Parts: sequence; C-alpha cells; structure tokens
Amino acid sequence: MSSFTPTRRTLLKTGTAAAAFATLGPAFLRQAAAQDADLAPYKSAQIDWQQVSGETITVAVIPASYFENLITLAPQFKALTGIDVRFEKIPPAQIRQKSVIDLTSKTGTYATHAADPMYYALYAANKWVEPLDTYLADKSLTDPAWFKLDDIIPAWRSANGIDGKLYGMPYDGEVTIQVYRKDLYDAKGLKPADTLEAYMSNAAALNTPNDRVWGAALRGVAGAGQNMYIYPSIFREFGGDWMKGGKLTVNGPEAEAALAWYVDIMKKYAPTAAANWNWPDIADAFSQGTVASYIDAHSSASVINNPEKSKVIGKVAYARWPKGPSGKRTTSIWNWGFPINSALPEKKRKATWLFIQWAASAETQARTAHKFAGPTKRSGVNRTSVWKDPDYIKLMNGFGENFVEVTMGALQEDTDVDWRPRVPQWPAIGDTMATAIQSALSGQATIKAALDDAQRRIEPMMRG
Amino acid sequence: MTAKRLRIIALLAISTVFLLAWAFPIVWSVMNSLKTDSDVLAYPPKLVFTPTWEAYRDVLFGSGSILPNLLSSVIISVGTTVVTMLMAVPAAYALARLRFRGKKFAGFYVLATQMLPPVGIIIPYFLVLRNIGWIDTYQGIILIYLSFSLPFAIWLLVSYFEDIPFEMEEAAYLDGASRLKTLWRIIIPQVRGGIAVTVVFVFLNAWNEFLFAVVLSGNTVRPVTVAMFNFVSVEQTLWAKLAAVSVLAMLPVVVLGVVAQKHIVKGLTVGAVKGGGRR
Repeated sequence: MSSFTPTRRTLLKTGTAAAAFATLGPAFLRQAAAQDADLAPYKSAQIDWQQVSGETITVAVIPASYFENLITLAPQFKALTGIDVRFEKIPPAQIRQKSVIDLTSKTGTYATHAADPMYYALYAANKWVEPLDTYLADKSLTDPAWFKLDDIIPAWRSANGIDGKLYGMPYDGEVTIQVYRKDLYDAKGLKPADTLEAYMSNAAALNTPNDRVWGAALRGVAGAGQNMYIYPSIFREFGGDWMKGGKLTVNGPEAEAALAWYVDIMKKYAPTAAANWNWPDIADAFSQGTVASYIDAHSSASVINNPEKSKVIGKVAYARWPKGPSGKRTTSIWNWGFPINSALPEKKRKATWLFIQWAASAETQARTAHKFAGPTKRSGVNRTSVWKDPDYIKLMNGFGENFVEVTMGALQEDTDVDWRPRVPQWPAIGDTMATAIQSALSGQATIKAALDDAQRRIEPMMRG
Repeated sequence: MTAKRLRIIALLAISTVFLLAWAFPIVWSVMNSLKTDSDVLAYPPKLVFTPTWEAYRDVLFGSGSILPNLLSSVIISVGTTVVTMLMAVPAAYALARLRFRGKKFAGFYVLATQMLPPVGIIIPYFLVLRNIGWIDTYQGIILIYLSFSLPFAIWLLVSYFEDIPFEMEEAAYLDGASRLKTLWRIIIPQVRGGIAVTVVFVFLNAWNEFLFAVVLSGNTVRPVTVAMFNFVSVEQTLWAKLAAVSVLAMLPVVVLGVVAQKHIVKGLTVGAVKGGGRR
C-alpha cells in the first residue's frame, strides 16, 4: 500500500488541476451571472434568506436541460443565502436507486433529490422525508404571500402529496399529449383523434411503411417509467380502476381491453423496433419524419423542434389525449419534485427548504425558462402564472400549433391522481406490470395470461 | 487440392462473417462519433459523410467535459491493478507451493467469493464504505474492486506458479538463495507471461466496471463508464457524443490489448497445454 500512496496523491493533484481547468470556462460565466443578477425580487419575501448562511448541501438531479439551467443560476442562490449547493448529476435509472439507498441507510448524503412522484408513498410510509407543511407554515422560513403555493400546478402538488400532505415540491413536469404531423393529416383530410378508436383509424390511414412512414408510436420498452408510463392512461380511459374494491387489481375486462388496444396499435401501425423504444427514440424517429403521430410528453416538443436534427419543424401540431370508452381523457402526471431528507440535522433541513423555495419560486422558474440566457428554455415550468405570461406563451407556441392551449388543457382537465396505483410497493408493481405489458406485446403471452400472471405476482407484494 | 482449397475458402468466409458481426458495433461507434447529430439519424445511414470532430471537442473540452472522468478511471484502474498484483503474486505463490493448514479451504474460498452475483452485495458494500466515510473516494472504490480483482488474479496466477517445476526452485535453494529471493529472481521471471495476462484482465475489469461504480461514486470520483451514461438523458440521447466517449474509453483498452497481445496468447496457451492443474 505504501508504495502506492504517493502515486495516487500525485495523480490526485493532477486530477484536481485537470478538473479545475475543465470547469474554468463555465465557472467564470456563472460568477458573472451572479454579480449581474438582481436579487430584489427574492428579497421582497419577508424572511431572512441568510439565516443558515455557511451551510453546504448536496442536491442530486438528473442530467436534463431544465436542471442545467437551475445549476447555472446556483451562484445567485449562494449570493442570496450564503448556502453552498453541490449538484450531483445522476442518470434517471440510477437516481431512484441511489436516493433510496441513501434514505434507507439514513446517511443524509443528498439533502434533496429530483424525486419520482410515484415514490412518495414509499418515502412517507417510512418517514424518510419531511412533510413540507411544517416548512410552509413556519413564518420564519416561508413568506406565503411571496411564495404563493397555490400558483404551483395543483395536479403536481396532489401527485406529490400523501393523505393531503405535500412531501415534494414540484420543480418541473410534463403531461402526455398527442403530437402529430399536420401536413400528413391535412393531406388525407384527417383530424387529430378525439377518441382512441379514431386514433387507431388515423394511424391505419397514415401507415405506409413502404414510404417509411408509420402510423403511430408509443413507448414500447419495458419499465415502470417507460411502457408503464403510457399504458396507465389507456387503462384509465377504458374505465380501469387500480384499487377495485380496495384491492389492487391489474387484470379484468377493462385491463384486457386497454392492453389489447395498445398491443394492436403497436403491432399494426408502429415500426417493429418501437417495441424497444423509449420516448427519446420516438421523438428522434418523429423528427426524421418516419412517424405520423405519437402520444407522449409535451416536453418532447423541444427535440422535434431542434433545428440541428429535425426535418419536421413547422409541420407539427398538438392535441389532447383521445378519449377512451369511459369518455375520459387521462394524461400522465409527472413532475420532478424536491423532498427534504429527514436524516439531515435541523440547520441543513432549513438550508434545503430555502433551496427548494428558491428553485420553485415564480422568479426562479421564469429565470430558468423564458428569461434564461442560454439556448434551451424549459417547457415544464411549475406555475400557472408563468404559463400565462405572454413572453412564455410566445416562446412555447414556437413549438407548433396549439402547444400551450393543449398543454394547459391537459394539465387542468385531463389529470387524474389515480392514474397509477399510488402505494409504497409501486417500484415492484411498476416493474411487474412493465414486464407483463411487454410479454403481451412480444407475443410471449396472451393478453389475458399476461395480466392474470401480473395479478398473481402482485398480490403477495401487497400482503407483505 | 480443390477440396482443400474449398475448405479454406469456406473457413475464410465463415471467419469473415463472424469478424463483421463482431467488428460492426465498433465500426459503427467510430463512424457515429465523427458524424453530426442529424447525420447520425439519417436514413438510409450515411456511409459517406463529412467527418467532424465536433463531438470529440464537446466531450473533451465542452461544459460536460469527460477529462476528469477519464482521469478517475485511470486512477481507479491503475490503483486497483497495482495493489492487486502486489498482493496476488505472493498469495498465489503461497497457494501453489506452501503446505499449510486450511490451504484447500483458502483456495476454495478465493473461488467462492467469485460466485456471488455482484448486484446482491452492492448495498452491504455501500453501507460499509458509508460508515468509514469512504463513499466517493478513490480508496473506497479501489477497496471494493480488490474484493473481486484479487480472487480473480490469485486464481489465475496459481496455475502459472504450479506449472513451474519445483526442481528449478530446489536448484536455487541449493545455491543458498532464500525463499523470497527465489520467488523474486527465479519464479517471477518464469511467470512473466502469466503476470502480464493477469495485469491486463484486472485492468480491463476495473476500467469497464459500471455496477459498483455507479453506486459508490459521486461527484469527486466518477469513472468514465458512469459519466458516459449522462449522455443518455431523459430528454434525448446524444448519440454522437455518446459514441465519441465510447471510442475514447475504448482507446486505452485497445492500446493495452495490442501491447500485451503476445503475452496474452502465450500466457493463456502455456497453462492450457501443460495441463498443469488449476486445482
């Protein structure tokens, strides 16, 4: 070991130097941003932002432009509060794993992390995170008139709440909507689908694989956040109820009809490879003009409108989810929220709350969206007031016809808190369902067999 | 004559098919790394295109530069390899030559540690490192890597040591050499090939490791295998950059492979032909 240490030290020094060199450029820019920034809009809040000055907290986020924009503004937060924030970027598949390990072991590594709304049931059941009500009610920590909690999109707040208590503050979110090629639809005299049936027949009308255009595409790859992100909307629209008679139920006639619709459209009108696609792959295909329509996150609009890649700019339009036989439209409810880790000492919890309050505030939301100096603007801001800001609307409507109208309509009318079963066992249930959906899609099992098998597997989880 | 020729042609054809299948992903990555994002997505895939270094420039000197990550990987891999070899050579020698109680058990134990599926032991390792404050440190990751590289190295080296005729050692003892001196002067030069093979494999395993690294690393220590993953974001997959990082991450391994190739082939066959036994 002794012969090894000096080498390591020398290398470490070199490492630090290299790292410093690599980050020098952006660091300068950030410094400049902090100096120029006007902190007055924050200082109008009747709280002492500096009350835990000198603390350092670590925040885990996923690599995504909406968090990058926030990271860029972090020096402003430091100037405002004296709190240092270290950001750690972790890919979405691992951030859940790493944060759960951190929370179970009560090590307090991450003061807060970008959290999956489906995990709050688990977090709250184990008291791993703090109910935010306490912090919202504490006048020394929050100025309610300034923060305006009610302005934050209600659907996202209810998604992050358990039994009426808020556990994670929504930062950025999305809804699923229909995205379609207006030029192709117009050429055939088609309208965006109002029902799932019409969506299927539109897909049939536009499906011309010989010209490399497929009718539709939905997420096919197995995963709680992949195929099990799209299927629940269909399930609900077919009248499915996850908690039938108080018991978690994933099979039955509604489920079979929903899964049959999904398998049908994927097999008949989607590219074969879509069985393994997640949404970036769908958006990539759509941007190359090979898919006529898809139903997925509204935030994918930025990819299909990226001038460096996309061939369909100016040909895109949007519509809300088609209605199912139940007469409902059901969008996804997704947002990355920030909870407070209960394992932290009090001062750090306060520092974390100040960070969360800053990140979720209307001012920071605007500064990371339409007021952001960099090239990528956010399309998932958490506040109704920002969505009504003419500057923001103008920017968002650049993504194509009806974008803001459809997104807001979906957010306000198509959300459904029971879109996915909100139980602490969700991670395991989500994976089981994802596997069942894929085995039906790949033809390994019949639709009924796949769902019945999933039900058999899920029952013991609910007992345990 | 013609039959023989036919057979050669058939063999060549089969080898070519296999070679193409194996080389394709690498060639594809190299090509994608030199394309722009719109060329990556083009259909039919462009075989002729104007190459650009943009992806490389971005991943090396852009805001999300992977240089610190490459350095992390080097420190971890070299550190793991050096420590492993320092401990594995004497251990393997002892298992091959010395007679001591529990030798059989020790030999089995070394192998048994390899039988656990790694994913099952991540959490305990995380807790151990957490308690001693070694999460996100080089010593922490190297310590954990030793847990699988050391048994592997010992297990590999034992067979090489066993192949050396005991008479060589005896001759050295007769000339008055001590055991350590014999090990250093007589034995080790004989197993150079084996040591080279082991070094390469231990280095490769550490360099390519992802599962442990993703859990045990953080902002300070983040090897390139983990950093690379950030190019697959929830918003989009940055194919060209991902390909560029893959190619960069492949380079040291390829270089090492080419340099050590002679030893690897020799090392692997020496053990095999003599049939000296791995117990």
